Amino acid sequence: MLINAVIFAPLLTAVLLLFVPRTASAALKGIALAGALITFVLSLTFLGSSQNGAADQSVAWISGTWLASYHVRIDSLRLFFVLLTTLVSVACIWAAFSYADEARLRGYLFLLLAFETTLLGLFTAADLLLFYVYWDLMLIPVFLLLVGYAHSAAARRAAWYYLIYNGAGGLVLLLGVIALVAHTHSFEVLASGAPQLSGAMEWWIFLSFALAFLIKTPAFPFHSWMPPTYTHAPTPVVAMVAGVQSKAGLFALLAFGLPLFPHATRALAPILLVLAVCSIIYGALAALGQRDMKTLVAFSSLSHLGLVWLALFAFDITSVSASILMLVSHGLIAAALFLLMGFVEERVGTRDLAVFGGLALRAPRLQALMLIAAMGALGLPGLSGFAGEFLILIGSWQTQPLYTAIALLAVVLATVYVLQLFQGILHRPLRADAQAQLELRPREIWLVAPLLAAIFFLGLWPGWLNDRTPMAISNAGTTALQATPR
Amino acid sequence: MTIAPVAISWTALAPMVVLACGGLVVMLVDLLSRSASRAVLYGIGVVSCIAAFAAMLPLYGRSIVTLNGAFAADRFSWTFDALLLFTLALTFLLSSLRKADDGGSPGSYAALLIFCTIGGMVMAGANNLIAVFLGIEQLSLALYVLAGTGFPRESSQEAALKYVLLGSLASGFLIFGSALLYGADGSMALAALAKAAASLSPLFVAGFALFLVGLGFKLALAPFHTWAPDIYEGSPLAVTAFMAVGVKVATFAVLARVVYAAFGHDSPALVALWAIAILSMLVGNFGAIRQRNLKRLMAFSSIAQAGYIVVALNGVNREGLSAMLFYLAAYAFTTMGAFGVMALLGDGSESYADLDAYRGLFFKRPWPAALMALFFFSLAGIPATAGFYGKILLLQLAFNGTAWGVAMAVTLVLGTLISFYVYGKVVWNMFAAVEGEAPAASGNAIAPWIAVAAGALGTIVFGVLPQTFYASQPFLAAAAK
Repeated sequence: MLINAVIFAPLLTAVLLLFVPRTASAALKGIALAGALITFVLSLTFLGSSQNGAADQSVAWISGTWLASYHVRIDSLRLFFVLLTTLVSVACIWAAFSYADEARLRGYLFLLLAFETTLLGLFTAADLLLFYVYWDLMLIPVFLLLVGYAHSAAARRAAWYYLIYNGAGGLVLLLGVIALVAHTHSFEVLASGAPQLSGAMEWWIFLSFALAFLIKTPAFPFHSWMPPTYTHAPTPVVAMVAGVQSKAGLFALLAFGLPLFPHATRALAPILLVLAVCSIIYGALAALGQRDMKTLVAFSSLSHLGLVWLALFAFDITSVSASILMLVSHGLIAAALFLLMGFVEERVGTRDLAVFGGLALRAPRLQALMLIAAMGALGLPGLSGFAGEFLILIGSWQTQPLYTAIALLAVVLATVYVLQLFQGILHRPLRADAQAQLELRPREIWLVAPLLAAIFFLGLWPGWLNDRTPMAISNAGTTALQATPR
Repeated sequence: MTIAPVAISWTALAPMVVLACGGLVVMLVDLLSRSASRAVLYGIGVVSCIAAFAAMLPLYGRSIVTLNGAFAADRFSWTFDALLLFTLALTFLLSSLRKADDGGSPGSYAALLIFCTIGGMVMAGANNLIAVFLGIEQLSLALYVLAGTGFPRESSQEAALKYVLLGSLASGFLIFGSALLYGADGSMALAALAKAAASLSPLFVAGFALFLVGLGFKLALAPFHTWAPDIYEGSPLAVTAFMAVGVKVATFAVLARVVYAAFGHDSPALVALWAIAILSMLVGNFGAIRQRNLKRLMAFSSIAQAGYIVVALNGVNREGLSAMLFYLAAYAFTTMGAFGVMALLGDGSESYADLDAYRGLFFKRPWPAALMALFFFSLAGIPATAGFYGKILLLQLAFNGTAWGVAMAVTLVLGTLISFYVYGKVVWNMFAAVEGEAPAASGNAIAPWIAVAAGALGTIVFGVLPQTFYASQPFLAAAAK
């Protein structure tokens, strides 16, 4: 019951907003933020409950020739993705207050809250049909937010990239899902271990799953939708997409891909490892050449998430379990960076690093917060980014030394482009409009602060998260870790 | 020599008789009171639909074959009849805003719609080739006239003329095909087709091919679809809606009955059908890309959707029929809903058939725009709508192990991807900010609102809880057991 409360609290809040007059912006803001906060608090209760936060509920849903059930679950794998979603959503919904004009505020908050529900639904779905429903459904709020709420022709064009790329991925996944269920006759595929598929069949179905996951994350060479979306989407939207939605593909790989297709994951690992390393290097090199600060962070995401692909397909218990830490950490850092860059863009009116700079002089608090997020992104010890990267590199080195060595290069490059970003915004002579108010307002500080606190917390005590996940991995992926390619 | 009287089961025929009485009442009222308003005449139409549905209730779950085997009222036709009556009632609601200068008397318009639907119900229950032809002709003749009832507009006259000419050609194919089928098996009964189908005699193959051409035309399946865009665009909005839904529902009933009666299992002769399905999905979706008129867009959309529905026949099994019924219902709810929004906003005019009218609509009229988005998402097969579950069912059938099945599944998915752009384009326009002046004020009448709400309700409920539709339909309820 509680688990459904977490999933649907944002949606209920969104529906509640429809009953508030469009002009009552204070009430709209209050209700939306309260809804997001309540969702976060509800999700926290799973940390304390027995059995490491596990909760499971299953209700029969469709009983045709193929069975499907409304099956939701929170276990040690899903818990941290749920927490990431609810925490980042609070910040994003709070941040949205200043981005929507009054006439459009209600729709804006409605879509953000609906988006949160689709993400929570995705991270808790234990039935393949339910999972697919959320997988596709999450495209809609983002598409509408890009088209209607970004106020730029570039964002409206980016909406097409987003919809068509991710729609294509979703439909390929649908083919795979149907082909799989044609064998199992039930969408409850996780219940009975890996399905007995013929070698070629498993290979094809996993390929369709992997393609969808690669597009959603995204990974090289399926990333073309990402730079325009990340660059032009409204700040709260991109913070949620980069912070949370980009974890969907890798989460799905852990929750469905590895347990369902142990042999095919092994067989296809060489290809996916090459794509992972390409993502890592290409993302880092592309980030180096960017003048647009949001595009720069977009490419850095490509690089960082490539590292997680490497971690998963290195099939080492350390790296696979550290991937969850890395994903959560990247979600926090990316969300914080995009929110802060949104504040900067709002003040200086441009994203071009060559055009402005030197904000540190006038905005020391902005500098302090930006420093934490940026250092987290380049993997400074003591912040969450370091812990994840370090464990992944240690783990991957055991089985894939060559690829890991190449990936190390990207860690060096990350230092360069993150410092470029940081110095471009904050250092050098002040070149922004000197009259403008450049310092962060208290609301802006408070909304980013929890994300930064979490980055610190996970950096200082990674074991808090990492010690809970091996069980999740053993549930989800031991079959894949032990399987032989076929 | 005595001629044995034909046994007639009036129970089986009651829905059609009741509806016909409604049609006669409409004509009488129109005749006796020249001043009878549209509201009264269309109101009688809606009441007749409800009365006919009431007459269907005793038939729920029963199976009666009457008129010497020419007509069957069974669990299969029950759902088709219900869908036809639903479509007719909504068409009346959509018609209520038509302006007096739109041409034609409302009385004859209403009566023609009713008789057209009776033709559809005959098709849904037709059990021999004669009844099939009678039903199709009654439906088509009424529709030829209805297409022209917007006659002050030249495009409506053009639509009517094109429809008559091409429609008669298709009827020619159909009747010639029926004659050859009769020649092949020596009987008019559909049940007798099985023997000839088993041997695939040349006469049967030729007859079946011609028959398929005729049905393909009525369903607007590629390559027999070329009439659809012009005629959909020219006909009055409500008639276009009925064409898109009512005709498809009735004709798919015939196609399914013929295929199931003749084959009962997969057959090489059905390859033609699979090829037509694949072609329709591609032609419909690719053709819709460049359309800027929503009626034309819906024409191409209906070509693609018809292609999807043919997939339900793959494997020729019971699940296929339930999938077809579900998909047709989903299609009926969403399409009638979408046309409902067009009628609602246009307030009796055709101005909201133009894509440009939708620019920035969401920020002026959020509710109609949001519901329009819902209907287009359902047509595109986005989850949590009826259209999504319909596609799941179709894909399930396509994966039966044959190469044609896989080809259809892949084409269906490809077509769906293209349709993301096609339907997304309308949604994109509704949400994109407006530069320049706002469009003219748009309507808010109650009758089309009811139609839109009914469409939205069906789209969401059958999308989230598909089981509810199964439970309500006798054929599906039996299949689910």
